[in-house]
Amino acid sequence: MLTWVALLALALFSGATFFAARRKALASVGGRPVGLHSLPGYYGGYVAIWVAIPAALVLLAAAGFGGRLEAGLLRATPAPSVQALDAQQRDVFFDDAVSLSEGRQASESVYEGALKSALDSAVARARHLKSQITYGALASALALACAGAGFAFPRIRPDFRARNRVEGWIAGLFILCSVTAVLTTVGIVGSLIWESWRFFQSVSPIDFLFGMDWDPQIAMRADQYASSGAFGAVPLFIGTFLIMIIAMLVAAPVGLFSAIYLSEYASPLARAVVKPLLEILAGVPTVVYGFFAALTVGPLFREFFNGIGALLIGGGLDGLGQYLSQVQNQMALVAGAVMGVMLIPFVSSLSDDIINAVPQSLRDGSLAMGATRSETVKKVVLPAALPGIMAALLLAVSRAVGETMIVTMAAGLQAKATINPLDTVTTVTVQIVTLLTGDQEFDSPKTLAAFGLGLTLFAVTLTLNIIALRIVQKYREQYD
Amino acid sequence: MTETSLSAAQTLRKTVEARLKVRHAQETRFRAYGLVAIFIALSFLAVLLGRIVTQGYSTFVEYSLTVPVYIDPARVDPADISGANFDLMIADQVLARLGIKDDDFGTQSSKVMDILSNDLGFQLLEKVKASPALIGKTVTVTGPVRADGALYYKGEIKRSTPEDERKLDNAQLGWLDRMKATGMVSSGFNSGFLTRSDSTEPEQAGVWGAIVGSTMMLLVTALLAVPIGVLAATYLEEFAARNRWTDIIEVNINNLAAVPSIVYGLLGLAVFINWLHVPRSSPLLGGLVLALMALPTVIIATRSALKAVPPSIREAALGVGASKTQTVFHHVLPLAMPGVMTGAILSMAHALGETAPLLMIGMVSFVPGVPEGFTGAATVLPVQVFIWENASERAFHERTAGAIMVLLVFMIVMNLAAILLRRRFERRW
Amino acid sequence: MIHQSDEGPGPATPGDAIKIRARGINVFYGAKQALFDVSLDVPEKSVTALIGPSGCGKSTFLRCINRMNDTIAGTRVEGRVELDGEDVNDRSIDPVVLRARVGMVFQKPNPFPKTIYENVAYGPRIHGIATTKPELDAIVEKSLKRAGLWSEVADRLQQPGTGLSGGQQQRLVIARAIAVSPEVILMDEPCSALDPIATARIEELIDELRNQYCIVIVTHSMAQAARVSQKTAFFHMGKLVEAGATGDIFTNPRDGRTQDYITGRFG
Repeated sequence: MLTWVALLALALFSGATFFAARRKALASVGGRPVGLHSLPGYYGGYVAIWVAIPAALVLLAAAGFGGRLEAGLLRATPAPSVQALDAQQRDVFFDDAVSLSEGRQASESVYEGALKSALDSAVARARHLKSQITYGALASALALACAGAGFAFPRIRPDFRARNRVEGWIAGLFILCSVTAVLTTVGIVGSLIWESWRFFQSVSPIDFLFGMDWDPQIAMRADQYASSGAFGAVPLFIGTFLIMIIAMLVAAPVGLFSAIYLSEYASPLARAVVKPLLEILAGVPTVVYGFFAALTVGPLFREFFNGIGALLIGGGLDGLGQYLSQVQNQMALVAGAVMGVMLIPFVSSLSDDIINAVPQSLRDGSLAMGATRSETVKKVVLPAALPGIMAALLLAVSRAVGETMIVTMAAGLQAKATINPLDTVTTVTVQIVTLLTGDQEFDSPKTLAAFGLGLTLFAVTLTLNIIALRIVQKYREQYD
Repeated sequence: MTETSLSAAQTLRKTVEARLKVRHAQETRFRAYGLVAIFIALSFLAVLLGRIVTQGYSTFVEYSLTVPVYIDPARVDPADISGANFDLMIADQVLARLGIKDDDFGTQSSKVMDILSNDLGFQLLEKVKASPALIGKTVTVTGPVRADGALYYKGEIKRSTPEDERKLDNAQLGWLDRMKATGMVSSGFNSGFLTRSDSTEPEQAGVWGAIVGSTMMLLVTALLAVPIGVLAATYLEEFAARNRWTDIIEVNINNLAAVPSIVYGLLGLAVFINWLHVPRSSPLLGGLVLALMALPTVIIATRSALKAVPPSIREAALGVGASKTQTVFHHVLPLAMPGVMTGAILSMAHALGETAPLLMIGMVSFVPGVPEGFTGAATVLPVQVFIWENASERAFHERTAGAIMVLLVFMIVMNLAAILLRRRFERRW
Repeated sequence: MIHQSDEGPGPATPGDAIKIRARGINVFYGAKQALFDVSLDVPEKSVTALIGPSGCGKSTFLRCINRMNDTIAGTRVEGRVELDGEDVNDRSIDPVVLRARVGMVFQKPNPFPKTIYENVAYGPRIHGIATTKPELDAIVEKSLKRAGLWSEVADRLQQPGTGLSGGQQQRLVIARAIAVSPEVILMDEPCSALDPIATARIEELIDELRNQYCIVIVTHSMAQAARVSQKTAFFHMGKLVEAGATGDIFTNPRDGRTQDYITGRFG
């Protein structure tokens, strides 16, 4: 709260220096801006930046990291009675001290005797540290703001190149923003590799990538995590693959034929109606597809197969009938089919772009030879668009592999290495969600396994994307 | 010469005509495949939306009971108002109105309590607490029927189902019928669904907390992703020299846009929670993660909007002596703004519907209220859908579809805004 | 203003038989009218050049002959175009058959992204003209020879057609068109994307093909029209201004606009 007030005050102060600097710049040339190197506003901006930026950084750092600094200092000097506690209890003790100092509810631990007095003194010390950090930050922010003004203000002279300085700051901001995207990648790759590395300390990568048995044990207590779960991810890979294949069997033909119809046959009116409708299908959140799969498609498919099973029981296909009559909601077919529907607009809009990039002159050439539309599409347009379409399908595969909600809601949890679409399978993403939801010990292989899976997922989708984007780029260059 | 060429021409015609029928049949078939594909895609859309509306519309119908209750001084101790059993008082009142005698064990009244929401009791408690003078007087309360009762009214629980297979027995169904017939229970628009937050009782559960959570989270996302994305795109498109570094950044951005969303969840867990200690389940954390996720899309949309501004505008501005920065900020960006905003709104709409990364960062917890600030625990609409879909009670399924309808309305509004913006400011160069 | 009577193609031209007879052609692209009441006769076994400034409707007229205008949404064609006395817009005429009889070469060379062989074999294959491999080989060879390309590509028939030079591509496209033995070949500014040497080759080729086909060529270059054609029609603002023997048009135009155009005063 205090930080926000301080930031507001800083903004006002910085605004005031803006006008003061602007006025000074104007005054230095007798009110005629022609004599200045830059527009007067740039002089104001230059000073305002020097006033605001360093001080704001200090305030934000104090707001963001003050709590950790406080906790760190608090822990640096524990009372002897606290030192006697084991690591976990000590954590709780200090958390309680901080909570109490901020007037929040402490944990239910009971502190007596020496611990009670240690807690009281820790609470007092926490309060003291907190105010020290807060006021220290406020004071240094004030000092920095004044120093900024003191540094920048005297430099205002008619020949001072204020615009270049301000634009220098803006360029810095620009670069900072573009680097954010790179930092995100670094963050993703770094955290996945780091956590996976910790995971591979306890489970060998070979066992993980080629093991046929997936059964992560639930670590109930910290000392239990030595108990070996099985972390062979092959069943998950097979499950993911199976669902992806089913999804592509739905999405590829329907999406591709829709795209062909829209780009080659549909009237402008039909295009104007159908394309936005397909976009709606693309805009539906995946959790909605998941709901639809779990509560509508699942039961529907089960009833259908159970019905067929009931008909077959006792006949020549009795075994099949028995099997079909016991099919469950969570079959791979359900998640795969619904995921396929989700991917239809994705495939069709990408293919539509690709097909439209095929030059009209090729179509004209073929039609002028007396080819029908469909012959033109099959023999000229599609072969020409083939690389692009392959890339679109690869991107769709990447989406299918990384899709989470549909499979989490509609596929099962049982890791089974099967390619039977009526069977229950689980996928990489489902397991990541299962391993990481709920409160778990963060250091157990069980939770770290999620990062191993995440790294595999990331590597696979990244490879697919890079290949696909490469092909698309080559393809576009060909017709540009 | 003329003779032979004429006959050659006739041969050509004959040959071509011979296969014409087959070829036109192929053409018709191929065209039909396309039509069928579009029909399939659109019918999926219709079934999906239709199914959600048919499952969810009943969420917005509420059956509420209005009953005057005599606050018996014998049963309420003014010193300990919270200790009184208001639920029982209401149940007794309902029994009395239905003309049923209860036995000594209170079997009937507990069966009545099973079909009335405990919200009624809470309301009565709050009223009496607020003014103890009400003790000894008659107070009228209105509150929802318990979810199972509502399901019976809506035809989801049927009398034809054997008694031991349904949650309500014949007597309870009879009471529900009589309560409706005598006007004690009336149906109306379920405004509570939009004004209440999550609850363990389906009839009291609403999406308000999730709406507020989603709004707060999107605010964080928009405040981070849009400025950073726009500036980054402007830099890459207008200022940066094309070299190896900008190429790397560009490839990087294109690939980030296709990274599965769940990976962003892992990033949030490892970096924001474990390393930077951002509070779990908070709108701040969700907003941060979704901002990183939305960033590439915002950048890509902004870049294409900037590309659409013709170079002549830049040349004109530079030609009259504007600096590069002035050119971009005074001329290029304002002209590209409609496209930028359209892209930004669409990526925010996408972020609104995103669920998977939020599961990783602890947003799946039960939050019975609006979030306490940006660092408090919060839930958001899509996650609320996920939580309710997992609930075992059947009444929650209806609410799930209802929550989806609310979510879709928000998404439609955002998409319409984007479309209108595009239409309104569309410029042809 | 049209100096052409309905009863004849104007002054006598080589090859007296009339292959294409267009009468009262109006073409609309949406609400915009592109051609106004054009009537023209095209003689058999000769080259007819359509000249005029850009946007004058000469390509639009060309596309009426093989009904390529059908492929552009919102286009409406009125009037009669007769090919050997049959109206090509008649319901009984299938555009597939029509286009097999009337080949077309476009402004920009547009070989399919296939091999040279497959490019030439495309027409015979889809129309079922050749059923066996030797037949197809023979047609490909004959067409390439006739297009004057055989000696250059005989040893690389399996390489992509898009790898050829611009002039070679255009000759490949001509070979592709004549592979189905059409009666008429329409050429829409076939040399505008080519250098002078390649242009000269194509012009030679057109001159050779004249003996077997009825050729209609749209061209920007009056010199080209004078070199290759026997009959010339001048279009202006969607109207046919004047048509007649090429020599007459260039030496003795009857209309002031033709005069202005061929002397380079506009265009």
